Amino acid sequence: MILVNYLASAALLCTGLYVLLTRRNLIKIVMGLSLMEASTYLFMVSLAYRAGSTAPVLAGPPAGKTARQLAHGNVADPVLQNFCLTAIVIGVAVTAVFLSVTVRIAQHYRTLDADRVRAMRG
Amino acid sequence: MTGPLLASLLPLPVALPIAGAVAAPLLARLHRQLAIIAGVVTLCGAAAILLLEAPSVFGGLVRAHYLGLWTPVHGRALGIAFAADPFGLIFALTAAVIGAVLLMYTLSELGGLGPRELGGYACLFQLVIAALIGAALTADLINLFVWFEVAALASYGLTAFFLERPIALEATFKILALTTLASFAVFLGAGLLYAANGALNYGQLHDALARHVTTPDLIALGLLVAGFATKAGLVPFHGWLADVHTATSGPVSALFSGLMYNFGIVAIGRLALQVFGLGGGAPILGLLLTVGIISALLGAIMALAQDDLKRLLAYDTISQMGILAIGLGTGTAAGTAGAVYHLVNHALFKSLLFLCAGAILHRTGLTKLPEMGGLARRMPVVAAAFVIGAASIAGIPPLNGYVSLSLIHTGLLDGHQYLPYALMLAAQVITIAALGKAAWLAFFRRRAGDYPQLEPLRPGMVAGLAGLSACCVAFGVLPQFFLGSVMAPAAASLLNPARYASGVLTGLARLPALHLAFDYVSPGELLSVVACAAAGAAAAWAYLRAREPAPVRLLRAAHTGSVNDYAAYAVAGMLAVIAVLTLAR
Amino acid sequence: MTRPSIDDGRALARAAEREATERQPPHRPLIGALLVAGMAVALGVAMAGIPREHAPLPLIARYALEIAIPRWKFTEPVNEIVYGTRGFDTFGETFLLLAAVVSVVVITRPREKRRGYFGESAAGAREQRQDDPDVGYDATEQEARSAELREQDERASSGGEPAETPDATPLGTPAPETAEAMTVVVRTAIRVTLPILAVAGLYLVAWGYSPGGGFPGGAVILGVLLLVYAGYGRRRISKVIRPELIETLELAGAGLIIMTEFLGLVLKGSFSANWLPLAQELTPLSGGVAQLFSGSELIEVGTGLTIAVFALLGMTHDWARDEGGNGAGEERER
Repeated sequence: MILVNYLASAALLCTGLYVLLTRRNLIKIVMGLSLMEASTYLFMVSLAYRAGSTAPVLAGPPAGKTARQLAHGNVADPVLQNFCLTAIVIGVAVTAVFLSVTVRIAQHYRTLDADRVRAMRG
Repeated sequence: MTGPLLASLLPLPVALPIAGAVAAPLLARLHRQLAIIAGVVTLCGAAAILLLEAPSVFGGLVRAHYLGLWTPVHGRALGIAFAADPFGLIFALTAAVIGAVLLMYTLSELGGLGPRELGGYACLFQLVIAALIGAALTADLINLFVWFEVAALASYGLTAFFLERPIALEATFKILALTTLASFAVFLGAGLLYAANGALNYGQLHDALARHVTTPDLIALGLLVAGFATKAGLVPFHGWLADVHTATSGPVSALFSGLMYNFGIVAIGRLALQVFGLGGGAPILGLLLTVGIISALLGAIMALAQDDLKRLLAYDTISQMGILAIGLGTGTAAGTAGAVYHLVNHALFKSLLFLCAGAILHRTGLTKLPEMGGLARRMPVVAAAFVIGAASIAGIPPLNGYVSLSLIHTGLLDGHQYLPYALMLAAQVITIAALGKAAWLAFFRRRAGDYPQLEPLRPGMVAGLAGLSACCVAFGVLPQFFLGSVMAPAAASLLNPARYASGVLTGLARLPALHLAFDYVSPGELLSVVACAAAGAAAAWAYLRAREPAPVRLLRAAHTGSVNDYAAYAVAGMLAVIAVLTLAR
Repeated sequence: MTRPSIDDGRALARAAEREATERQPPHRPLIGALLVAGMAVALGVAMAGIPREHAPLPLIARYALEIAIPRWKFTEPVNEIVYGTRGFDTFGETFLLLAAVVSVVVITRPREKRRGYFGESAAGAREQRQDDPDVGYDATEQEARSAELREQDERASSGGEPAETPDATPLGTPAPETAEAMTVVVRTAIRVTLPILAVAGLYLVAWGYSPGGGFPGGAVILGVLLLVYAGYGRRRISKVIRPELIETLELAGAGLIIMTEFLGLVLKGSFSANWLPLAQELTPLSGGVAQLFSGSELIEVGTGLTIAVFALLGMTHDWARDEGGNGAGEERER
């Protein structure tokens, strides 16, 4: 059931959010944000799905159908799969920058505790 | 040039700075400053193309172009639309022109950086400006999200640029965590809107939402507003903003405060006013007004309490963003035009102030106000520029702040919103106090000894400061010209979402003319300016003498500096926005 | 090489006190749970209200499927949308990745020679002194520092040059940690699978009419390079991964993408329009400009991600060194 997928993605997002809100280790914060990213991928792909549909690939259509029939038939949503690709690339890019900043912080401050790396308050 | 041909040139102001960004690291290998010079050229080119569009669009037109010529079929648009309306065009022009000025300033202030660093800097800077222009001109939700992300990723590199200051890393981590959270909110909102309405194009979305607004649509709007409010630095999504400004150098701070945060407000204006309109009975305007007032007051109070000059200016930015939100939230012609005017003014005077603060840091190595003093004698150009900038924010005629703030006041009074008006005046008083304190402590107070290090200003820096100051004055003494030709059409575009939507879908639409008169010497405004200035000066004097009052101490303690706490504030704000939009129908 | 000294007793006690007062604030889990619950409710309500699996496809999705073969002669609608109809989104995304790569390079860069006085350095030095007073090291930091020193001692005592592969060192020595490359089994496996993986990555891009495209192709190329790095060691890969060359390739790929889109404006009157003739469907060149875009994307993504990963791996030198301790490792020539 697709509603189960939606709720699962919401649950994953909330788990990642909980990590972001409560964990002090910088790597754990990065992992929490990665988890939230993954939940958005699941959400997008679940939004694209239709009951009994086939993938939006017109090369080599299933037996008994032409590509034209497939394009007008029961097929999953390709536009949302485009967004998912966009989101994946964004996720990769952000994680790369995040990890390089984290390694620099570890190099300089010799700690990965977010509460120890806060000279700027107020 | 014919209309459709002009419209097809719209992606060029985005592609030119991007081409400059791609060329920058290669040019920097040849000669370190070539990358920045090429950047100035591309940004001037982008501004020139935007100026080609300006006469027709500012005359009250919405002109759209579908990239790849994938025009809508039966009102459904798959292709990406680029729509030039007065609101988007003025922001894009501001970004291009001020971006060019800031890059020229960088050439003289930071021209001594190593070649690879300078190449990277030029690349990231141009990517931010290209993304801002793209976001201002786009009429497609996912395209807006993509440009939002480009600006965000480039801003991370610029925040972490001066690695010799350890706080740069801390600030980068905070902006990373909070902006990534915001980007998830925007992405989820866009996905929900597509799922509920099957539309990505603003025009198509507007038509779909005008027919029927469901609860998922409102939750999506809440998520989108919360995400862009984080980018704009509205309270309570603002935790990262002051830290970022404390750690970055002058031109980068000017870019962020003057241009990038304004993009958040532009996006909120587009989505809340032009896409959603006032459909569904959701209290969008009331929400913007409330968030605006809270930001204006909190930003002003925190600014008054700061010791670090750039942090003070950063909190003042939060306050000004609040005022922009108030302007958009009035819903009246004067208020909305005032908000657009303030958008441009803010870009000018905030860039000016941050360049001054950056010049002080760069030439003396000092950041804290108690350590400075007597700079009026030693750095007269910077002092003059700072005073002009501070006076602009204070709303003193004949500078530009007076015009935009008066327009927003008129808008509030037209809508019979007296409590917001009073609170906005209170925020202005505290802002004047904060800037007065900064000006006194940094420039006009006597300094006992000499500075350990005081480099002279370079000519390029002087030119940049002078140019921005001149613009501040110009926008103040020619209000009727700017109001009539630029700001009123922009307000007309914001207040007539149906016309905007039809322009996006069909490619051309004419906006109704909006006539706004600005009474320069209205006695009520002048009286309030004098009263605010006096009260602000008195407050500054009292604050410098007395101890920190308890509420201020509490507020400062609430800004713990921890990523978890700032994220918690942001999520709480997100939930509050969603709750207000869905439950108060 | 001096070991860091600790003021016994006082400094340790101060550090312990600091540690105790900075234990997890009790309000955070509670508030976190509350906020997360609220978010779950909001998202649950939203997701319950949107169309589910029996809803018809949105009309724009149907349009994308219908134009794939007639207008693009492309049997892969997702690639047609990504690189063709909504190619401007992908244009933006390419530069998003470029922004991220340049940001990583800026963050991981070594120091360079500068001209003139930079107040930021003075400010940084002052902030460093204020935030990092000599209060001694707490337990975790002490452990990290002594581990680092031990590693440096070992490397010095083992003759300076690390072993080429673990096969060259006798059994029982901590060979996998200090050797440059991995064992002969791993290296042979890599040598065998490398061409297969590389060809698979290129196939993903070249056969554009089946699912794939530039982004996954670029990721596979990065995976191939990382395999060589892990299996053969840094010295072997640095002959291939020369920073200047890879950077030039990446910028060339990005420039190619800009040119592809711009030529649409020049030749067809709109920025990302198709200006290449459409080849027969189910051939590698079908899809016109979409295939060109996809190929340039492969170059840009592959080299960009390579730069980012190797910049991260090569980051050795802390900008704001503290007094009393060593910087993180020795400076390496890049």
